[in-house]
Amino acid sequence: MTAVPSSEILGTEERDILQEIMNIGFGAAAADLAGVIDLYVQLSVPTVTVLPAPELPDYIRREVPDAREISIIEQNFWSKFKGIALLAFTAGAGRALLGMMGDLDEQSFESDPMRILEKETLMEVGNILVGACVGKVAELLGDVVTYSPPRVLIGDLSDTNVSKRIFDPGNYVIILQTIFHFGQQDVRGYLFLIASHESIGWLKHALRSFMSQYE
Amino acid sequence: MNFTNVFDILNLGIVILDAEYRIRYWNEWMVIHSGIAAEEMLDRNLFDAYPALDTPVIRRSFKSVFTFGNFFFFSQKLHGYLFPIKALGSFQGQFEHMQQSCTLCPLREGDGIKVTHICITVQDVTEVAAYEKTLLEMNYRDSLTGAYNRRYFTSRLKEEFERHRRYKRSMSMLMIDIDHFKSVNDTHGHQCGDFILKSVSATIQSALRRVDILARYGGEEFCCILPETTFEPSMMIAERIRGLVESETYIYEGQAVRVTVSIGVPRAPVSGDTPESFLKNADDALYEAKKIGRNTVISFP
Repeated sequence: MTAVPSSEILGTEERDILQEIMNIGFGAAAADLAGVIDLYVQLSVPTVTVLPAPELPDYIRREVPDAREISIIEQNFWSKFKGIALLAFTAGAGRALLGMMGDLDEQSFESDPMRILEKETLMEVGNILVGACVGKVAELLGDVVTYSPPRVLIGDLSDTNVSKRIFDPGNYVIILQTIFHFGQQDVRGYLFLIASHESIGWLKHALRSFMSQYE
Repeated sequence: MNFTNVFDILNLGIVILDAEYRIRYWNEWMVIHSGIAAEEMLDRNLFDAYPALDTPVIRRSFKSVFTFGNFFFFSQKLHGYLFPIKALGSFQGQFEHMQQSCTLCPLREGDGIKVTHICITVQDVTEVAAYEKTLLEMNYRDSLTGAYNRRYFTSRLKEEFERHRRYKRSMSMLMIDIDHFKSVNDTHGHQCGDFILKSVSATIQSALRRVDILARYGGEEFCCILPETTFEPSMMIAERIRGLVESETYIYEGQAVRVTVSIGVPRAPVSGDTPESFLKNADDALYEAKKIGRNTVISFP
């Protein structure tokens, strides 16, 4: 593991700017989401965390309650801003979202053992939420991002050893994090945008450029 | 050189829409596979050209790409296809329409930020989908009779029972056993026994609707779920099956073989019943039918 302290990866001022960009970006995303998916979406105050990559799975497990029974939508994004987006929903969220979005009718009930409709809804909503949040943050930083198709993983989060597969264990990751609340119901989505080590150099530069327009 | 003609030699459908969902580009692949000339499609609204695409999910996906600039993926597994294009000859038996994996991609103009157009790419994945379908069928069908296997039956019984419990939908079940099947095997050999299993399965299937679920439950035992069917009609269906099998003469290598079936029919589930207790009632009814002399239909409780 690298001996560089996390404060050197992203300084206090840089964190503050990134925090501000997330406030603006996620706020704009939430406002636009209402128009796209006809659902009132509330976002918690976003946070920024810098971690050594191997600590990522434990960190996510701590942040998501009841991580043993969740659905995760995983989507890669790449450009100058590069990394992986993980959106974790607790059990039953797919079904609740189906009901809220008005796509649920009696005929579709459990007609398939793979619960295709729930999966489809999670994937659809996940794709839109990830696109909205990544897109808005990238836009503020002057970048345009491309995405891989989303994948849905259902089950135990401990099986998802994201960092090993995606990130070099010697490196750091920057986690941009927020929680979605949907409508009046208690459906929550935990979003983690994990920027790879490679994009940290660009990110620091982009943060400075962002601030320079106010100086 | 103008490289735009690359779009016309790709083995991929490309359709470009403007912000009003008007088709601005329809590549050669789309012309060849849909049979519709580009001139006919240009400037037409996508949803006028294909009203079936006007669903909340598809509307949302386009809106999201225009608003957020994300990519939107329509996988074949979940959607089958976007554009109703006839499947190619050899796949027509399995699919009416070409199975597609489609992506909506944002196209930006001017400042490079605002999404002004959407590019839809259409990939033909029918061949892979056909292999997958065959593998799945192998996974839930009984290889001898072609009826569903016991595992599939058990999972569907749970689902149908849950539907019945939650929405008060009627459901019925038949448990069918070929009488004296052992003597068919002993007298005519096991190959004839297999032939009888296949033939009786086909006879039962001929008395059922497409929505009914016929499974081979054990050796010579079949189970059938009849969704949306109350008890009385299920007794009539059971009696029809019994009569059909009794009147049939199955010919195996020139020998006439006649068999009969006993059928147990559980009464409609009541509060407190479970898929297991419902199945047990069917089993008890079948046991009773066997006990009183076979070739008969009995209900329980």
